[in-house]
Amino acid sequence: MGDVVEEDVIRHLYVHVPFCARKCGYCAFYSEAGEGALVSRYVEALVRELELVAGDLRPRTVFFGGGTPSLLTLGQWERILKSMDRLGLLGAAEWTVECNPATVSPDKAKLLRDWGVNRVSMGAQSFDESLLERLGRVHSRAMIYKSFDVLRAAGFENVNVDLMFAIPGQTLETWRATLGEALALGSEHLSCYEVIYEEDTPLFEQWKGGMARVDEDLACAMYDELLGAAAAGGFQQYEVANFARHLAGGSAEVPDRACRHNVNCWRGGSFYGLGPSAAGYVRGARTRNRANTTLYCEELERGRRAIESSEELGPLARAGEIAAFGLRMTAGWPLEQFRQRTGFDLPGEWREEMRRMIALGYGELNGERFHLTREGLRFADWAGAEFLRS
Amino acid sequence: MENSPSECPSRRFCVEPVHSRGGRAIPFYTQQTPPLFAVLAHGMACVAFWRIRTTELPFRTALSTVFCSDRELHMDAAHIRNFSIIAHIDHGKTTLSDRLLHRTGTVTTREMEDQLLDSMDLERERGITIKAHPVTMSYTARNGETYELNLIDTPGHVDFSYEVSRSLSACEGALLIIDAAQGVEAQTVANVHLATKQKLAIVPVINKIDLPHANIPATKAQMEDILAIPGDNAILASAKEGIGIDDILEAIVHRIPPPAPTGAVSMQALGFDSYFDTYKGVVTHVRVFNGELRPGMLVKLLHSGKTVEIKEVGSFNPKPYVREKLETGETGYMTANIKSPKDVKMGDTITDARNPSPVLPGFKEIHPMVFSGLYPINTADYEHLKAALGKLQLNDSAFVYQPESSVALGFGFRCGFLGLLHLEIVQERLRREYNMDIIATYPSVIYRVVMTDGKVKEIDNPAFLPEPNYIEKVEEPMVFSLVICPNEYIGDMMALIAEKRGVVDHTETLDPRRVMLTSTMPLGEILIDFHDRIKSITRGFGSMDYEHAGYQASDMVKLDMLVNGESVDAFSCIVHRSKAEGRGRALAAKLKEVIPRQQYQVAIQAAIGGKVVARESVSALRKDVTAKCYGGDISRKRKLLEKQKEGKKRMKSFGSVNIPQEAFIEVLKT
Ligand SMILES: Nc1nc2c(ncn2[C@@H]2O[C@H](COP(=O)(O)OP(=O)(O)OP(=O)(O)O)[C@@H](O)[C@H]2O)c(=O)[nH]1
Ligand code: SF4
Ligand SMILES: [Mg+2]
Repeated sequence: MGDVVEEDVIRHLYVHVPFCARKCGYCAFYSEAGEGALVSRYVEALVRELELVAGDLRPRTVFFGGGTPSLLTLGQWERILKSMDRLGLLGAAEWTVECNPATVSPDKAKLLRDWGVNRVSMGAQSFDESLLERLGRVHSRAMIYKSFDVLRAAGFENVNVDLMFAIPGQTLETWRATLGEALALGSEHLSCYEVIYEEDTPLFEQWKGGMARVDEDLACAMYDELLGAAAAGGFQQYEVANFARHLAGGSAEVPDRACRHNVNCWRGGSFYGLGPSAAGYVRGARTRNRANTTLYCEELERGRRAIESSEELGPLARAGEIAAFGLRMTAGWPLEQFRQRTGFDLPGEWREEMRRMIALGYGELNGERFHLTREGLRFADWAGAEFLRS
Repeated sequence: MENSPSECPSRRFCVEPVHSRGGRAIPFYTQQTPPLFAVLAHGMACVAFWRIRTTELPFRTALSTVFCSDRELHMDAAHIRNFSIIAHIDHGKTTLSDRLLHRTGTVTTREMEDQLLDSMDLERERGITIKAHPVTMSYTARNGETYELNLIDTPGHVDFSYEVSRSLSACEGALLIIDAAQGVEAQTVANVHLATKQKLAIVPVINKIDLPHANIPATKAQMEDILAIPGDNAILASAKEGIGIDDILEAIVHRIPPPAPTGAVSMQALGFDSYFDTYKGVVTHVRVFNGELRPGMLVKLLHSGKTVEIKEVGSFNPKPYVREKLETGETGYMTANIKSPKDVKMGDTITDARNPSPVLPGFKEIHPMVFSGLYPINTADYEHLKAALGKLQLNDSAFVYQPESSVALGFGFRCGFLGLLHLEIVQERLRREYNMDIIATYPSVIYRVVMTDGKVKEIDNPAFLPEPNYIEKVEEPMVFSLVICPNEYIGDMMALIAEKRGVVDHTETLDPRRVMLTSTMPLGEILIDFHDRIKSITRGFGSMDYEHAGYQASDMVKLDMLVNGESVDAFSCIVHRSKAEGRGRALAAKLKEVIPRQQYQVAIQAAIGGKVVARESVSALRKDVTAKCYGGDISRKRKLLEKQKEGKKRMKSFGSVNIPQEAFIEVLKT
């Protein structure tokens, strides 16, 4: 049990760009308002890190997240892209860059597209001016429309729009309106995240102080609204918070415009994570880089990767984790695929948990696949936790 | 504190205890130019032991006197004063004790921290004293004489009033502290009664005179009216600002009589407290009334009938330090080959085994009044809990426990406490010091059940209340309570007493502003929130105290709480029929609040003899997922899930319902 065939080279790459124009009130990702010198220093360090892993990397998916990758200047992007070319890292089938509506210029969009970036994830978050303000976002509603047009004009045919719900002060009506406007944009993908009160964020402080609390029933109603509107708008849900179009026609377990990079993460596939605070998963070891840009740069200037922590779980614990995250996808786990990935038999090892979930109507075992039902997805954290093994 | 040679004319030299860890002292440091002094140390660790300053006596002679015979280190009884500090809660006993320790140089400024004598973390955090703390100080009075002052700081909370009475039994006097802004309060009255009963000299101190709303004339008037103590006897002080401290020390010396030997044929000492030390075993706090107590002596404990050999004697400063012996009138501690605190009865007389003296008066034994079952959340922790309770009991003789089992909670212990604060403290210490996750059942007093066949059963656990048709009558424990409150709240206070099924026996006007209500009430009624309610009705100006007053027949019934149809015996209680429904509703409402939403709806019912009197429900959880972006950081998310899962494990499940520990704690407060 637990034997898995490891990949020869790693096929997925995540790059973290730790800079934002201004910190949003709810955000716990590592990012800072980088001033010029630090950003350039970061770009050099990143290039160094790419060099260190390039030999073990032939990316099928690349994801530049953040932070705000679109904040990098044209020159900085060119430096990165040319290095990737030199290292043979271009040509990914799916290459995503996260953008903030306020930071997408036509030149930048064109540059990225020309070098092979083919997917953009746009952090719109809301179409309601006052909520954008409340979230501490730097962009306005008009900028979302403008940026979207810029992206389309540059030739991006795969665009994701990020939205947030359960924002303090948000009503079901404003959410409905935002959903309508987002769907009307006609993007290929939609990610809808709930506002989470994460420690060390201004929002968390407010929440602790009793403010900014959102009623659970309202959050549920918003989620229901989302499921209904997305389906009506031609989107297929494929993960708790992710929806995509299936352009090939017919139906598929995972729609063809799903984010393949994320699907790989959820399915427990390997990926390199580069840049400050980035998490990676390579051949069973989960790593995390230092969450401090200066320290990150210092390490790389000495020619070493800036890995701060690394964790390798035992085979069963690893399989449990992979089960837990895969089940957040509507497709759940094809039993055979799970066996190949982890070396464990899902119904063999988790018989009791699966039985309980099926009895509750939260899980379904049909043929060769176990997945959570629509009701079960509402309890995906609980279900996932049940599958974890220590 | 400067014991300059000239201040010490009548004695050849003076000594002050500093620190000690046991063993024989050797000279460690001497200063041969005036002022001459030596620091003696002992053991490898070289801990300072005595600081000696000599006057006319040549230094070396003094030093060798110390070595040859330690007689000189001891005060004759005429230079000893034993006193307790008593007061209503929060009137400043501990703060004043700190001041006295500092002023007498017992602790240095560097060692000084607030609430020095409240050594338990819990005491410091809550700002209350739980255990009585003895400490020995050396004080050179204005008359030049040096005195050994043995102080016992006592707790003010009514749950621990027996700590006061036993501390008083070791003393000739008491410092009575009265808060100048609050005036005389209920425990002031109760403690003065205790002290006068024992014929102690009382030194009144009006404290907190620095407060802007301090009212000294009114406080003096209350002293005269309520306590029959002349107001002019009071020393005006501020423990906080250090005002009046010297006057207090002088008054201790001059107004409190020195200990008088009992005239018995041999050594007589009273054991008035004990604690457990991992190295020394049981350490018994003693007050020597006659003769001297020294290591090697064979002594007999008259009540328990045991004979033991004394291993070590000493005092506190405030840490324990070893002494050669304790003499007539001195207070300190002794250790002997005593393994379990149960072997020394508090209030026992300790005397010479070969030539025993008669029994000393002692004090009334204390019995727990409130009972509650303590259960480990994780059943595997049973043994661990047992060990922890055993250890706690070593230092808390008022706490008792014995194994019991519950349908809902499995195996645990029935525990007896002095009151609710005591229960809370034990729970908290188990959690903190022993890392135990426990559940406590609804507290109960001891009911006396007279059966139809004439037999009498004592019931402290609702589970054992016999079926109604076997019961002739149920009797519940009563108390005399004393409430002091401002005039304007008298109506509300009487309503509260009536609500608590009490009968007001007496209403006495204390002064133009305040009244004192004496009433007879069921103990069970005042346990939970009587004190808090008084405080809130009177905006903090009311206070209360109580003493036990026997049993009285009463119409009691058993109230059951059902969760999804299953009776959770931990929440059951015995209540008066007139209150059962109200209590049932309150408990159901509280449970609704504290039981987290589950995947199903949870029904909560309160029932008396199968009849449901109240119901509530906790609606089903609608979701347990966060649609969250975690950017590939699977580890972090997994750890969150693990934490969540761990949290669930710490709940107790009843059928399909998980009830967290907090629910049990919260319900206790209902
Ligand atoms: N202003 C002022 N505050 C004081 C004085 N003496 C004590 N206090 C404050 O009163 C509060 C209670 O003091 P404690 O010394 O803990 O009272 P206590 O009598 O030992 O309390 P218990 O042991 O719980 O009965 C603390 O906040 C002290 O700082 C004083 O002279 N003036
Ligand atoms: S732009 Fe994105 S990464 Fe930056 S602070 Fe806002 S939410 Fe966080
Ligand atoms: Mg105190």
